[in-house]
Amino acid sequence: MKEEDIKLAKWLDGKMEGAELEEFKKSPEYHTYQKIKDYSAELTAPQADIDTIYKNVAKSRNQNKGVRKLTPWFAKIAAVLIIALGVTFFFYTTHTTNQIAMAGEHTEFLLPDNSTVMLNSGSQAEYKTWNWDDNRKVELNGEAFFKVAKGKKFDVVTPNGIVTVVGTQFNVKNRNNRFEVTCYEGKVKVSSNGTEVLLRPGQTIAYEGNENVAVEFETDTTPGWLTYEAEFHKETFDNVIAEIERQYNIEIETNKGNYSTFSGVLPMDNLDEALDIFTTAYQLKTKKTGNKIILTPMNESKH
Amino acid sequence: MFKNKKNLYLDSLIYCSMKKTSLKGICEEITFSDFFKNHAQALRNYLYYKFGNEEQADDVTQEAFIKLWQNCADVPPEKAKSFLYTVANNASLNHIAHQKVVLEYAKKSTKKGTDNQSPEFVMEEEQFKTKLQNAIANLSEAQRTAFLLHRIEGKKYKEIAEMLGISVKAVEKRIHTALVELRKEIENMR
Repeated sequence: MKEEDIKLAKWLDGKMEGAELEEFKKSPEYHTYQKIKDYSAELTAPQADIDTIYKNVAKSRNQNKGVRKLTPWFAKIAAVLIIALGVTFFFYTTHTTNQIAMAGEHTEFLLPDNSTVMLNSGSQAEYKTWNWDDNRKVELNGEAFFKVAKGKKFDVVTPNGIVTVVGTQFNVKNRNNRFEVTCYEGKVKVSSNGTEVLLRPGQTIAYEGNENVAVEFETDTTPGWLTYEAEFHKETFDNVIAEIERQYNIEIETNKGNYSTFSGVLPMDNLDEALDIFTTAYQLKTKKTGNKIILTPMNESKH
Repeated sequence: MFKNKKNLYLDSLIYCSMKKTSLKGICEEITFSDFFKNHAQALRNYLYYKFGNEEQADDVTQEAFIKLWQNCADVPPEKAKSFLYTVANNASLNHIAHQKVVLEYAKKSTKKGTDNQSPEFVMEEEQFKTKLQNAIANLSEAQRTAFLLHRIEGKKYKEIAEMLGISVKAVEKRIHTALVELRKEIENMR
């Protein structure tokens, strides 16, 4: 039965022989099969444009040549390099430079555009070197005097407000609740407490908390602290004490009390003289024990 | 599912086509173009019998050779042909035959002398030829492809089996049923 299924295939292939072939030739269908066999051999397929196909294949083959050169190992190395570059770039762009002036010392440093910053005692400044020219920004905690090179916007960011300048010299003081900016050259814009103030040379803006403190016109060309003369404009007693502690790197103990504000200049390179001026103003007595200084009211000791 | 089936056949296919090892690396320009010249026309005709559409046949032929080139480093020369047909067959799954195969008779015509034939006889024969053309066009794709590869391309059953990725027995069965169908069609047209 199985052989019957492929009988004609065998005949077509010339594999049918003997009695089987003779018998098949006698069948009524044979004539038609023979004609099918003969005429089907005369058929032809439509002519193909093989040359065009070859050209298309060759075209894509040439395009692939360049791509094939990127072998897997090369891709792996490239991937590693790209990742390494990416990590380096990430750290480089987010890297910040930190400058600190410890108590009792001043630190002077240059920013990438050669702007000068002088840090007063116990102050810290932070900035990013990457893309400096388009993003001149220094985060300040403490007090510093800036000589800013001409260029684009320059920001000093402090917890109490932002100072924006374009090529100028100015001092920023940010101690506790005190925020004080003095302009020495050029123009300075101060944003603090939701208001913006434009300062011209000699002008100072000062805040104690949310309160505006009136400050006299500045006639010097640089802040006093650069020459070790700390200027105070209606500064709180505590802030002055803190400044003396910072400048001389000492500890001062005082009685709690309701002291008035202090205005004036204290030398920061002569502790005895500074204490003399300060204690005279507040009627206090000085007692030194090692690195510690105790200030007590004069009246109390008389008892 | 279809592809898995084809891949199963691929092993036997590869085994069968190990005979010719004259070719060197397929990646070599000359080798590749020689291989193309030897096989492009046959592949294209095969695909034409399958689809009944020249454009599709050209496209798949081109596609198969491009794939061969892209994988030339991984395909040993003796396996190139079976690779080619496997790619073509897989690619064909996305093409559905929707046109009738149009085939012409070669100009030289019959072997028998045409001198002493009566006009009636000649006309009858011409009618038969037309009927045969129509009957072939009405065959199923599987039957038509196997039958025409044998009749026009002169391929052996074994070769056809390799090209289609089926067994020789299956090819013989297709040829047999194709003949039966053709005869019935032609006789019905009388």
